[in-house]
Amino acid sequence: MTAKLTALAAAVIAAAASISAVPAAEPKHGGILRIYHRETPPSLSIHEEATFSVNVPAMGLFNNLVIYDQHVPQNSMQTIRPELATSWAWSKDNLSLTFKLRHGVTWHDGKPFSAKDVKCTFDLLQDKAQDKFRKNPRKDWYANVADVTINGDDEVTFHLRRPQPSLLAMLASGYTPIYPCHVSPAQMRTHPIGTGPFKFVEMKQNESIKLVRNENYWKKGLPYLDGIEYTIIRNRATAVLAFVAGKVDMTFPTEMTKALIADIKKQDPTAICEIKPINVNTNLIVNRDSPPFNDPQLRRAMALALDRKAFIDIILQGEGDIGGTLLPPPEGVWGMPPDVLKTVAGYGDVNKDREEARAIMKKLGYGPDKPLKIKVSTRNLATYRDPAVVLIDQLKQIYIDGELEPVESSAWFAKVARKDYSVGLNLTGNGIDDPDQAFYENYACTSERNYTHYCNKDLEKLFDQQSAETDVDKRKKLVWEIDKKLQEDVARPVLFHARTGTCWKPYVKNLTIMSNSAYNGYRFEDIWLDK
Amino acid sequence: MAILDITPTPTAEVASADTLWTKIRYHAVAHPLGLAGAVIMLVFVFAAVFADFITAYDPVATNAAISLLPPGHAHPLGTDAMGRDIYSRIVYGARISLAVGLGSTALGSILGVILGLASGYIGGWIDLVIQRIVDILQAMPLLVLALVMAASLGPALGNTIVAIAIPLIPYTARVIRSNTLALREQPFVEAARAVGMSELRIAVRHVLPNTLAPLIVIATAQLGAAILTEASLSFLGLGVPEPHPSWGRMLSESAAEYVRVAPWLVVFPGLAISLAVFGTNLFGDALRDILDPRLRD
Amino acid sequence: MGTYIVRRFALMLLTLFGISVLIFVMLRMVPGNIADILFDAAGMIDVSEKAKLEHELGLDKPIIVQYAEWISGLARGDLGYSYVSEKPALDEIAPRIPITAKLAGLALAFSVIFGVPLGVLSAVKQNSMLDYVLRVVSLSGLSMPAFWLGLLILMVFVSAFGSIPIYTDPPQGFWSALGLYSVPAAAVGFRSSALVMRLTRSSMLEVLRQDYIRTARAKGAADWMVNYRHALRNALLPVVTVIGIEAAFLMGGLIVTETVFNIPGVARFLVEAIRWRDYPIVQNLVMFIAAVAVAVNFLIDLLYAVLDPRIRYAS
Repeated sequence: MTAKLTALAAAVIAAAASISAVPAAEPKHGGILRIYHRETPPSLSIHEEATFSVNVPAMGLFNNLVIYDQHVPQNSMQTIRPELATSWAWSKDNLSLTFKLRHGVTWHDGKPFSAKDVKCTFDLLQDKAQDKFRKNPRKDWYANVADVTINGDDEVTFHLRRPQPSLLAMLASGYTPIYPCHVSPAQMRTHPIGTGPFKFVEMKQNESIKLVRNENYWKKGLPYLDGIEYTIIRNRATAVLAFVAGKVDMTFPTEMTKALIADIKKQDPTAICEIKPINVNTNLIVNRDSPPFNDPQLRRAMALALDRKAFIDIILQGEGDIGGTLLPPPEGVWGMPPDVLKTVAGYGDVNKDREEARAIMKKLGYGPDKPLKIKVSTRNLATYRDPAVVLIDQLKQIYIDGELEPVESSAWFAKVARKDYSVGLNLTGNGIDDPDQAFYENYACTSERNYTHYCNKDLEKLFDQQSAETDVDKRKKLVWEIDKKLQEDVARPVLFHARTGTCWKPYVKNLTIMSNSAYNGYRFEDIWLDK
Repeated sequence: MAILDITPTPTAEVASADTLWTKIRYHAVAHPLGLAGAVIMLVFVFAAVFADFITAYDPVATNAAISLLPPGHAHPLGTDAMGRDIYSRIVYGARISLAVGLGSTALGSILGVILGLASGYIGGWIDLVIQRIVDILQAMPLLVLALVMAASLGPALGNTIVAIAIPLIPYTARVIRSNTLALREQPFVEAARAVGMSELRIAVRHVLPNTLAPLIVIATAQLGAAILTEASLSFLGLGVPEPHPSWGRMLSESAAEYVRVAPWLVVFPGLAISLAVFGTNLFGDALRDILDPRLRD
Repeated sequence: MGTYIVRRFALMLLTLFGISVLIFVMLRMVPGNIADILFDAAGMIDVSEKAKLEHELGLDKPIIVQYAEWISGLARGDLGYSYVSEKPALDEIAPRIPITAKLAGLALAFSVIFGVPLGVLSAVKQNSMLDYVLRVVSLSGLSMPAFWLGLLILMVFVSAFGSIPIYTDPPQGFWSALGLYSVPAAAVGFRSSALVMRLTRSSMLEVLRQDYIRTARAKGAADWMVNYRHALRNALLPVVTVIGIEAAFLMGGLIVTETVFNIPGVARFLVEAIRWRDYPIVQNLVMFIAAVAVAVNFLIDLLYAVLDPRIRYAS
């Protein structure tokens, strides 16, 4: 009897499994995808913003010329796919890049898309247009673009000052949608118009963002969803409760910690959760101009005191990676491999390094009875404060007595720009996994984001050299060499690369979370709901 | 009115100490709830003063190996996500909460008394101006005022004390003013004036001491409110900064995330706040009954 | 009486003027402005872009001019535009007010429904076991941080019902709204009801000692008649006052409760606007809250004058 029942149960389960397996192959139309959003984004005008709080809800409104394949987790040159462009070609001298454009694409307001729109977008980005963006945070990405020209309605060419293969990577980022000529930047902030799979309906501060299916999307039959609704829930505990209770189908991408995921899985074992790197690194900024930190010896001692694994264990419950400026492999394309990383000073045996650090400190006149008193400044946000607390705890080991100075977000970058700090803790997010972006933005002598004003002219030459290198393997070697030098110079010691999680209900199909960027994977055109 | 000539002699001191003790015993028996409140307050004061001796762990030391331990033998109230001992943090947190509570209440009371006394005793246009200031401060919701102040001053212990003290001023000033108005017409004030005492001296020596009873009653009530406000400010991300173990901060965003994974992170600091405020409220109630004759049963 | 009202009204306007100056100056003392915040996420501040934005928003004008523009706009009913959403400030503020008003109204209703009867009971049974229990419970209500109570309620709800009263969509219809708001309202209202209970109790006690009550008793009126008819009516006056004051105090509890329960009301919006340095929202919202507080006080004073013949108002 029992055996019979078991057999019957097994048959039922098998049948159920086969039933649920069948529709998985056949996407269904319809349904609203509900996602919680961690905060109210300042606007949905991607070009003017610099946080993936904007990219997540806004990517669905737009298209790029080219885009990273939305279903290959690791973004790389090999995964770049055509979108508004149907094809592209480099000139022989690698100084111009020409795109053939798609026909029959219309904007959400019915006007036709043409090459002029591409030109307008890059004129805005390069501050050449009559209209101006209120903010233009990625102007520097196109510093090497001399001009953008059009040839009729369906061809556009980028002219470069020097060869730069990475241009294509920047164009493929979620940060680089094409904007219409006929809509002003101010309108794009309040009511964005794109060519993308979803149309903007409304955004209510603190409440919700609503998108609806674009019936005239140029990819026939897409999107599958009728719309997407983002409910804004600032408190993460509340958000987890909302997900478990089924009020939302998906958490905000990359917002779940390991402990929260454990809780979610306990409450809802069917939930699917993935923890992946987000290409955001937590780093130390040291004011190289203010005594005593103008002494490279002291900076070296600080770098040696760091126990990177302890940071990862304490802050991220182990979900993090040790690396240099670029995201380490296997997820990262350009980061130093373990055998190179091992050779970098300060990445070896912590106890031995700390021994050396204490010796340096003693030589400089500090000791257990005469600690160096410093302030550790950081933004008054948990993701900044928590590592700062651990840092202060670790610096105690080498006779440095730190006190936390939390700075309101509004005052943080102004304070850093004034150099009104001695030791600071900072987070650097990388829109794309690309050496050009990482090096020029954070370490070039004149970059605004080079907070410590580390300046090494020889290294800058190497930046240019790797940037123009078209052979990927040769370029990688150069990149590793630069990254190693940056860490050993204590330019901006990288503490860790965080991994964070995303959860969704099993009926949300065709969702792929990117593994080396948190900014590029939200077109959502072929997601569908199996319910 | 015995305050006219306070010329303490050694014998009088002994005698008054004796009667004071008797009085305390009398009131303690008559107000068991007040006694309980006093005991609770003393426990927290004791914890704040002797924190170094009654805890085994550094409240700011992090340790991944003991992250999110439930309450147990080694850590009676568990540990937080960074492996910090909750019991130690609550004990040290008593220092912060009491410092903020007492500091802001004292500051608010001093400013309130000065304004109230000036307003009530001098009167005239000074009274008018001060009353308008008090009106303005009173019309702003306490937390909103504290919030804007805390944001403009920046998160630091001293600033938090100021941000919480300012909204406490109007109530104290009001009560002191009305008391002063009544006292101004009392015969002993007239008498002092007749012997040629300066007005300032009369205000400080004769009027002020007589407003002490209501002041103590108000201050005790405000002590609880101040501790609660600090908790709310810290919960909203303003207030006393890390790594100081403030009770409100312990309940803030990052901790509240673990409300289900590790409920002890939320339960115990909240209990500490509630208990401390409860103690001051019980004690304050009893004080009011004792000091405010209108309500004496 | 007429002159009193006029005088009182003039003072009210003066107070509001003072508040407008205070909030205006305080906001500009807060470090950083909207431009800093908007640039913040980019990880750098482009000085020329920032200057351009400040100019566009009029933040580069002298502070006196900025103030005059705000007040003259306010007088015309023009609240300006939100810096963040670039929509009219009125359109941002107005739809959120009913949400918070419902929550506050429900919380006040709770406080009266529970506070007044329990206060009377406690006074009538003074020094009984019941009185002690009620006093301790009400005191504990005054001692708990509202956000902590909210978190505990959420915890209990999830473990007991597996679901939570979190605001994700605007409720449809009366009953769903009541269901959604009543839990957070209870979290806020617990404190208020404790306060109302304590005040009802103490003013009841005072009234019960008055001569006319003793006379009524001596005349042989039934005990409960005396307690409820005579005493309660007279004791209610100070209670009305407290409810008025509490309406302003509620704001603090509402801010944290709206945060915990994710209710898109005006209280949480204010905190967010302060964080964004969205001056048009913060200024106008604080003025609105202050105006409500001042108006409630004004009405209560009038109510007093009407209800209590013993109060005389000299001009």
